Amino acid sequence: MVAKSSTAANMSAAKAKMREKKMRNQPVSVQHPSSSHGESRAENGGGQSDARPSSQRQRAAPNRSGWIRGHQRDGGGYAREMPKYITGGSFARARAAEVNAMLKAVTKTAASSHLFQGLPKHMRRRAMSHNTKRLPRRLRDLANRMREKSLQAGPKKKKEPAKNKSRKARRRHGNLLLEFNRRQRKNIWLETHIWHAKRFHMVKKWGYCLGDRPTYKCYRPCYRAMSSHCLLQDLSYYCCIELKGEEDKLLAALSQLTCKEAGPTFAAAMCLSGARQGSVTVYKAGQYPTQPLGPVTYLWRPPTAGLTHRQLWIWAHPTLKQDLLPELQSVCQCSEAVVPPVQPEVSCAEADPGIQAEPKSDSKLKPGAKRKKSCKDAAEPPAKKILGDGTRLPGTPVTWKSSSTGIVINDLTMEIVRYRLIGPQSHSVLTETLEAATVCDAGRTELESPSLWWPQHCKDQSNMTLHQQQTDVFNILKGVCSTGEVPPGTVLGLTVDDPRLNLPKTKVKAVPRVSQLQEADEEKMRELMLRGVPQPCCQSSLWEQSVRNSVTDNKMSEQELNRMKSEMLVPGSRLSPTPPQGRVPILLVHQPGKQVGNEMSCWGAGWELLLPKGWGMAFWIPLVYREVRVAGLHMSLKHSQNKAAPHFPHDYPDCPAGARFQEEQEAEFLDKFRRRPPAKRTNYIKHGCLAPFRCPWQQLAEEWELLMMEGGAEGKGEGQTQSSTKTHVETEEATPQQHRAVANPPIRFNVLRNRKSLRLLSGWCRPTTSKGQRQWRGAPPPPLSRAAVTSFHSAHRMSLVWVRLTLLSKGKPETHAMVCVPTAEDLKLFGKKQASSGPQERPHKDHFKCRMKRKKKGLKEAAPSLLSSDDGEGKAPDAPAASDSIASKDPQSASDLILGLWPDPLPSVTSHCTRVTLGWVTQGDFSLSVGCGEALGFVSVTGLLDTLVNQPVEHRGTLLLRNPTSLHYRFVKLNIDV
Amino acid sequence: MVRVKSRYLLCEINVSDRSNLLKLDDRAVAGAVRAAVARIHGDYGAALCSVRFCVKYLNAHTGTVFLRFPKGCYKLLWSALPFITSIESRGQIIPCFFNCLHVGGTMRTCQKFLIRYNTQQLHQMLPKCKNEEEKRQIREAILSCTLTGRNDETFEDELMSEEDGE
Repeated sequence: MVAKSSTAANMSAAKAKMREKKMRNQPVSVQHPSSSHGESRAENGGGQSDARPSSQRQRAAPNRSGWIRGHQRDGGGYAREMPKYITGGSFARARAAEVNAMLKAVTKTAASSHLFQGLPKHMRRRAMSHNTKRLPRRLRDLANRMREKSLQAGPKKKKEPAKNKSRKARRRHGNLLLEFNRRQRKNIWLETHIWHAKRFHMVKKWGYCLGDRPTYKCYRPCYRAMSSHCLLQDLSYYCCIELKGEEDKLLAALSQLTCKEAGPTFAAAMCLSGARQGSVTVYKAGQYPTQPLGPVTYLWRPPTAGLTHRQLWIWAHPTLKQDLLPELQSVCQCSEAVVPPVQPEVSCAEADPGIQAEPKSDSKLKPGAKRKKSCKDAAEPPAKKILGDGTRLPGTPVTWKSSSTGIVINDLTMEIVRYRLIGPQSHSVLTETLEAATVCDAGRTELESPSLWWPQHCKDQSNMTLHQQQTDVFNILKGVCSTGEVPPGTVLGLTVDDPRLNLPKTKVKAVPRVSQLQEADEEKMRELMLRGVPQPCCQSSLWEQSVRNSVTDNKMSEQELNRMKSEMLVPGSRLSPTPPQGRVPILLVHQPGKQVGNEMSCWGAGWELLLPKGWGMAFWIPLVYREVRVAGLHMSLKHSQNKAAPHFPHDYPDCPAGARFQEEQEAEFLDKFRRRPPAKRTNYIKHGCLAPFRCPWQQLAEEWELLMMEGGAEGKGEGQTQSSTKTHVETEEATPQQHRAVANPPIRFNVLRNRKSLRLLSGWCRPTTSKGQRQWRGAPPPPLSRAAVTSFHSAHRMSLVWVRLTLLSKGKPETHAMVCVPTAEDLKLFGKKQASSGPQERPHKDHFKCRMKRKKKGLKEAAPSLLSSDDGEGKAPDAPAASDSIASKDPQSASDLILGLWPDPLPSVTSHCTRVTLGWVTQGDFSLSVGCGEALGFVSVTGLLDTLVNQPVEHRGTLLLRNPTSLHYRFVKLNIDV
Repeated sequence: MVRVKSRYLLCEINVSDRSNLLKLDDRAVAGAVRAAVARIHGDYGAALCSVRFCVKYLNAHTGTVFLRFPKGCYKLLWSALPFITSIESRGQIIPCFFNCLHVGGTMRTCQKFLIRYNTQQLHQMLPKCKNEEEKRQIREAILSCTLTGRNDETFEDELMSEEDGE
């Protein structure tokens, strides 16, 4: 005890506590108190502090141990004074007390902190501390108590998440719906959202929740589906804007937005009849070559006889809508916003989200009351599933009309579901899935449900003949070999039965049924392929707002349908007669495939399916059951890449939406770059890559303008390619700032969309081989000469042109790769050995790195004194290209230098490397359709012309491509597809 | 597992005058043992005695004492115990001698032995009683120490009280 207590002095508190616990049951020595301080010790009784260096263990009265209790019964006097005599009783009591103490010490073995450690080895079980039921029963409640105590002591700070409801309650249908509605308030959900969310990586983009790519690996299967079967996408996020008014007034207003030079406009004859869907690039009113807004597709409603009142749907990307809608309002002079309830026709549709939006707000206050909320419309089921736009406030106007022109603009966002099927077999999928509506007995059904549209529709004989025609055309489609054979943009209106009725039991692959064709049908089919769908067949009831609403409201619920199916006498047979509410008007719109270029034409053609809202899932599942692949945003990007078409908003840098996208993309890439440790980052300065995360198009266009201006002044010698570019470079380097000042006021760059000029340019790019010349069947293009170039250039200043670059050797181009001009030596090398891998760029020196280091050091020593001296030093060793632009900005740039990236005022982008930069790649990948790397991007028209003129004829259109992370240039072939 | 092993000696201190027994304390006992070992075995013995020797328990009423010795040399140290004839405590010299009752490898065995020994003693005392009062008291004592059932209860109580304390 002596030794123990001496060591106990330096025992930590926790250790002491542990020890105390251990010694709790052990008997303590029983001695008489020696002095008064012993008494005071006895008073603080229970605390058995071993930490105190006590030589005498005078444990007078810890009342818990039994024997001392007995001892005390003798009286305090006994304890204090020495007894004069001894009796047998006290002697026996002392023995008995000792026996008790010893008994206690012997029986209670659980001295250590965990009582199951006191168990014999053979009784120990794995994870006894985890599950107390593994302990013998006698120890269980003790263990439970200890467990609770340790749980309380441990994660006291961790707060339990407030889960007021059990999972079962949360998953109950009504509550789940409430939760979904709450989550839809911020971002719009498509109707297939739940289906997608289970299978896709979802991204929040443009105010929607969209599936980006599936969680399973399917890049190649999706490509195969696109090129040989069918790929399905939900494009309901595309916004539809409806314009109604007199035809001439509409055309007059819309003609301000477009120009004939850039291709067919809204007034294209084929499209105006409603037989075709058209696509057009929209500009700001009257601003044609500059300030484009973006591409839209449009669809005219077929004219009804004798009426000049027309209806037009313009489909636009959601990022484009915010620019397009004000523009449309201004050209149509539609400034009067119609508050939803004013127009009875409109209010019906627009009040719906309003009604549904309201309960959401008070659901926060009293969730219980919401379930019983009675619906205004009796026919509507009590479930308040949000159909359409859930984020829009109820009072937001969606209709604008003009008093002067009589045009009404209607925002039909999320009113129409739009699915896209891509691939040669998409028509087979459609014909398998859909069945033309069966005619129903008007008289009988009308009694049952007077509000349904189909019985009413059936009464009119002309409607029925139209329906019959449409059905015939649709049936002919079954015999078509490939979707690409149908004329592009064909529109077919149709009324179909509920596709849930003939849902197959298992997934079946839709295959074309070519052989079934009759002779007569073949004739019809030929006509279909040549002329498209006959004009009256383009009519559909989908154009009617009232029909759309009726169809949406009267949709049979899944539950009801299943109940009817279960009541069938023969299980699994088709439901007949078809329930009267199961007729849906739809529009089928053919989607043209690859229209540009020579090879792989019609690749990626398909159909688009337009449905009234609310029917999304009813059509989606049957389509998926035909073994189509489903893809998300990622694959639609790849689709347009394979089609060599620019994808909105990625490839529209001159549009406001494209500019916004570029900024977002830069921020995203920069963030990704910064997440890496500095030592593991790519040093883009060393790679000579000025802007790895964005493309400074404006600067590129300006610099090429300057180069041309100087080049023109110096002389137009044919053989001076190399030297002239070099001199450009030097002069450019010397005074880029001044030049920029001269070039002001800045003209915004624009993308060349003039059909004629593009065709001309495309001809110039081709090497003059026999194959190239065959393309120009009619008038041969003017030969490439200085004069032609000058005139072309003067017409298109500050322009970029969309090009496709095919790699001639191996290599995979990446986003923001540089397109460069090969030097004469490069071309010589290339001519000698076609398979040569291309030249190398010498690694650049990173002057910023040493400057950063110096800055760091300087800051350490003395901040103010060194700053000035560093400025002076910093200028001298700089790259000549960068010196003046950076030196002026030195103190500012040093603060936000990122290792491996050029600070903001970039030096000359064209002449930074040994090869002059022409442009950048916006999309690049290994193309599965071509079998080699393919890149899409923009190059400066000015630069391209200059290059083409200076290149020898046999190598015309051969350029170099270099990835931002590589020093290796690869030879590419330039194509401009028209 | 490896542990340092010891031997525990359960000794009875016999004194001529029982009231002197109450004046004992553990330091005095330890001092007496050390002195005796030093006297018998010299510096070597004193050194051995200084390492892991201690008085684990002393009951002044009954005169029982637990001594702990290192296992390697406990016989040597034990051999010095009979030479203790007196203990100096609180300024008094108490004549006494040590009677070793048991040698155990753990405290526990010693405690177990002590229980058996004490109950045996009590049982032997009972027939030798001189008067009724004494007999009653001894019977009471025997009963109090043989009631084993309530041990669990007391333990529970303790646990509860301790939890409250924390």
